[in-house]
Amino acid sequence: LMMFLSNRSKEAVLEALASTVNRDPTAYKYQFQDDPYLAPRTSAEFKLFSLSQESGRSAAKYFINSNPKFFTKDFAEPHIPCLMPEKVSLLLEEVSEEALKERISLRKVKAAVDMYDQLLQAGTGVSMETTHDLLDLICLYSDREPVQEGGPETEDVSAEEANRSKGRIRRASDFLKTIWRENNNAERIFNLLPERDTHCYSALIRGMIRHGAYVKAFDMYTDMLNNRMTADVRIFNALISGAPEVREKYNERWDLIAELLNQMNQQKVQPNLLTFNSVLKALRRCGSLARTQALHTLSEMKALGIAPSLASFDHTLAAFYKAGKHSDITLHTDLLQEVMSELAGSSFTCQDPDDGKLWSVCLDNKDIELAYRVQSLVEAGENWRLLGDSHQQTIYYGRFFSLLCMMEHIDVVLKWYRKLIPSLYYPNVQGMRDLLQALDTDSRLDLLPTIWKDIQLLGHANKSELIEELLALMARETHSPEVQESFAVCALDVKSVFNGDRGTLSLEWSTSALCHITSLLLRAKRTQEAWEMLQLFKAKNRVPSEELMNEFLLECHAAGAPDRAVELVQLSAAFCLPATPRLAQQTLKDFDLTDEQR
Amino acid sequence: MYRCVFRAVCPVRQPAAHVFETCVLPARCVQVFRVADGGGAKALSTTSTSFCEKSDGVTPPERDGKRSEDKDSHLSETANSVEGKTDDGSKVIRMAEQREDSAVLKTSEGGAAPQGGVTVEQEVGKPTQVKGDVAKSGKESLLGLLGAMKVEVTNKKKLKNLKAKQRYEPAVKPNPAALESTISMFQKATAESSAHSETLDPDLVAAASAAASTLPNQSQAESELLRQLRRHEAVTEAQRKGDMSNLGVIIADMKVGRRPNRQNARPANQIRFDDDGQGYTHDRSITAELDGVRRRRNLFSGKRLGIFSPTTDEDKTPPPPAKPTIWDVDFANHLVLSTNQMPRNGFEEMIQWTREGKLWQYPVNNEAGLEEEASVPFHEHVFLEKHLEEGFPSQGPVRHFMELVVSGLSKNPYVTVQQKKEHIAWFRDYFQQKTDILQEADVYLN
Repeated sequence: LMMFLSNRSKEAVLEALASTVNRDPTAYKYQFQDDPYLAPRTSAEFKLFSLSQESGRSAAKYFINSNPKFFTKDFAEPHIPCLMPEKVSLLLEEVSEEALKERISLRKVKAAVDMYDQLLQAGTGVSMETTHDLLDLICLYSDREPVQEGGPETEDVSAEEANRSKGRIRRASDFLKTIWRENNNAERIFNLLPERDTHCYSALIRGMIRHGAYVKAFDMYTDMLNNRMTADVRIFNALISGAPEVREKYNERWDLIAELLNQMNQQKVQPNLLTFNSVLKALRRCGSLARTQALHTLSEMKALGIAPSLASFDHTLAAFYKAGKHSDITLHTDLLQEVMSELAGSSFTCQDPDDGKLWSVCLDNKDIELAYRVQSLVEAGENWRLLGDSHQQTIYYGRFFSLLCMMEHIDVVLKWYRKLIPSLYYPNVQGMRDLLQALDTDSRLDLLPTIWKDIQLLGHANKSELIEELLALMARETHSPEVQESFAVCALDVKSVFNGDRGTLSLEWSTSALCHITSLLLRAKRTQEAWEMLQLFKAKNRVPSEELMNEFLLECHAAGAPDRAVELVQLSAAFCLPATPRLAQQTLKDFDLTDEQR
Repeated sequence: MYRCVFRAVCPVRQPAAHVFETCVLPARCVQVFRVADGGGAKALSTTSTSFCEKSDGVTPPERDGKRSEDKDSHLSETANSVEGKTDDGSKVIRMAEQREDSAVLKTSEGGAAPQGGVTVEQEVGKPTQVKGDVAKSGKESLLGLLGAMKVEVTNKKKLKNLKAKQRYEPAVKPNPAALESTISMFQKATAESSAHSETLDPDLVAAASAAASTLPNQSQAESELLRQLRRHEAVTEAQRKGDMSNLGVIIADMKVGRRPNRQNARPANQIRFDDDGQGYTHDRSITAELDGVRRRRNLFSGKRLGIFSPTTDEDKTPPPPAKPTIWDVDFANHLVLSTNQMPRNGFEEMIQWTREGKLWQYPVNNEAGLEEEASVPFHEHVFLEKHLEEGFPSQGPVRHFMELVVSGLSKNPYVTVQQKKEHIAWFRDYFQQKTDILQEADVYLN
């Protein structure tokens, strides 16, 4: 066994052990198990706790790195490099190529440019390799300092993470922030170079594409061809992804892409996965052309022996799917079937940053069988990693769950409910309403009190529309006495939420909520509590419905409480209900009233 | 069952052009109309819809009731595609082309019923070209068809019960290898057929016999297939010599969207608008393309861009860049961010730590961190006397002292051999520097 293992990677033993551990649907996520107090129950808490964990780590790292003098003792034997402070500040002060290299490796854009200029002024030549690195650095960050407040890489990782969790809007603005400025240092240095090779052009073109200067990038490419140089695969990948930006019409866009591909072939550049993914991504913005060409592109990949990644399929599907176009859905579903049978059972590694976007798209239809196939694919191997961050996971599981609620029998829904919630997914209000509707459809309303407990646990107890729906479902029909009893307990619980007894933000009482709770209490023969509810109507300036009053009267009659009945009529009169006379007559008829009461 | 038999017979008895009039049965008139105005591609799409219908109704309780219906629609689907073809009967060559296509469709998709499909098509294909023996062969084929269907019914029931859940895969392949080769060879044949003359390509013959081996009456089927293929060849050749423009039609037909009557045939609900405002229509080429996908059961076997030519691995692999550039680092960072790297259990966390170098590697090895020492044999550590041979006296107090030093060093596991050598070398230098003093003190040196 040892011989066998020694040939494997250093993680082989642990991987084997890890594969024996299954997910426990009743447990919280592993990252929160250290501290039961921090076990999150809602998605907001989850976000808060995981981000604070992350930022705590970053803070510690930042402190260590910026104060290396306190962390000189190396206890570990053998030495563990990652526990020691990283070098983040500049050490070399003199003007030399070494100093320039140091500035580049620490990603100090401005300092590096200054150093380069000083070197040129001093008449010292800079080697081509260092120049490449410098151009790469400037172009990657578009001649700006990378986003980091004095901290090392981890700092901008966490910053980026924070952006991601806030969704797309934030990211779009980030993107707009970095634009390619005219004649920035990259262009200046580039123009000063005595000789330029492919790598220099590559840096410039990629930087321009990345920072939105698409036309410039294509000019640069033409310039490069005029200088009798051939491009490399990265240049082509960048250009292809920029192609939709420089042409208006769909067919012109595609023509440009096809021309670039032909040039690749002429220049004997072998395409890679990212080339084709860029093509497919660009095709998303080519309208109807995309459909045929996307399939042709897939075939081309196959012919070249390049296995498509999940992103390739995502782009292809996007070409066939436009939100809300129902006649397209069959087409889309057909294609999705094909993709799924292609992918079934395989495990993926991430090869393209867009790889994780496929999943939730897959569930955007009404085919439950297909959804199960997607889900089993997600469960296969390491594919769960590709679901992406918590935000994307929430979207995916949200869609899956609402599809289940819509299409499946309630028992199956509940099985998945226990499996997914809350260990993988914190449903939003819409998710819970879907569940309530599923309960309603299969007439399992008796489960409502347990669902109410979950609603409270998930922090949705302050969402009025959800509570209204819950109460309406409970009050709609009369059930067996046991069920009514449990409903009444639940209703009192809801009432305490409305009153703000839990120290939470109290909700505004609505007429329907008051009516529902009161009638639920009445049906469970909790007359006293129902009576208190009726007083609440007055306190909250709400008017009870006629049916409720009738129900009340019947209840009084059954209990033989003429005092109550009279009081009820008086109350009704106070509310100026049109049914007051009728109630009064009913009271007169049904009860033996004393003169005084008359 | 009766209806579909009837429909299979229809084209046999009637000249191709009149198929539609005779086929307007009340139950199927919608489909037939669509066939009539849609032409070949439309017929294919109809086929696929009926196929979809069929595969949709597979929830267990409904299935028993539906089974007979399923078969029904399946067979009528065969008839449908046949009708679609006879529509284009005037362009015989194209018909032949399509027939082969749908033969592929049958063999790959039909799964359980390749016999029925293939037989029907063959026999229908004949009368449009050779009108002499229409009646006779029609009868024969009908008999053959009926015989085949009996087999198929029993087969299908069994299979359906077995494979209730596997709706999207072909129900069963009687002879997968043979079928697959048939498919690929038919495709090949379609591409190449015009290049060959009277003599049949050996590949084609092989394909035909492979296809025939799936039929009940093997030798007869094979000869029929081959005869059909020869006829097709002949017609192709004639057509090619006679009218080159027809060939153009065939090529244009591959992009079905380019038809003049397309505007009229477009249903109203297909005019839609793109998200970004520019209108586009659901053109037929897409349907055809997807049908192609469906037919071949494979996303990748469609037409390709045809820009790059596949190269063998050793042909040229671009030398990987000497060191990863900052772009690569950035890309890797993006990849990591787009995936979920959170450990799910303790072991996964330990894997992470191992990768970061914080944890002892498993299997536990007490020489971890001493990798460079692993290549040094133990005697280098223990037998250090050989380092005393140079630069030290062979006897006397200095020698005695050094022997003690070496003995101590040989028992020390905490320093490397290099360090031990350096240690000895230090003493060598030291004693050489002190030569004068030692000689004064009359210590024996050499």
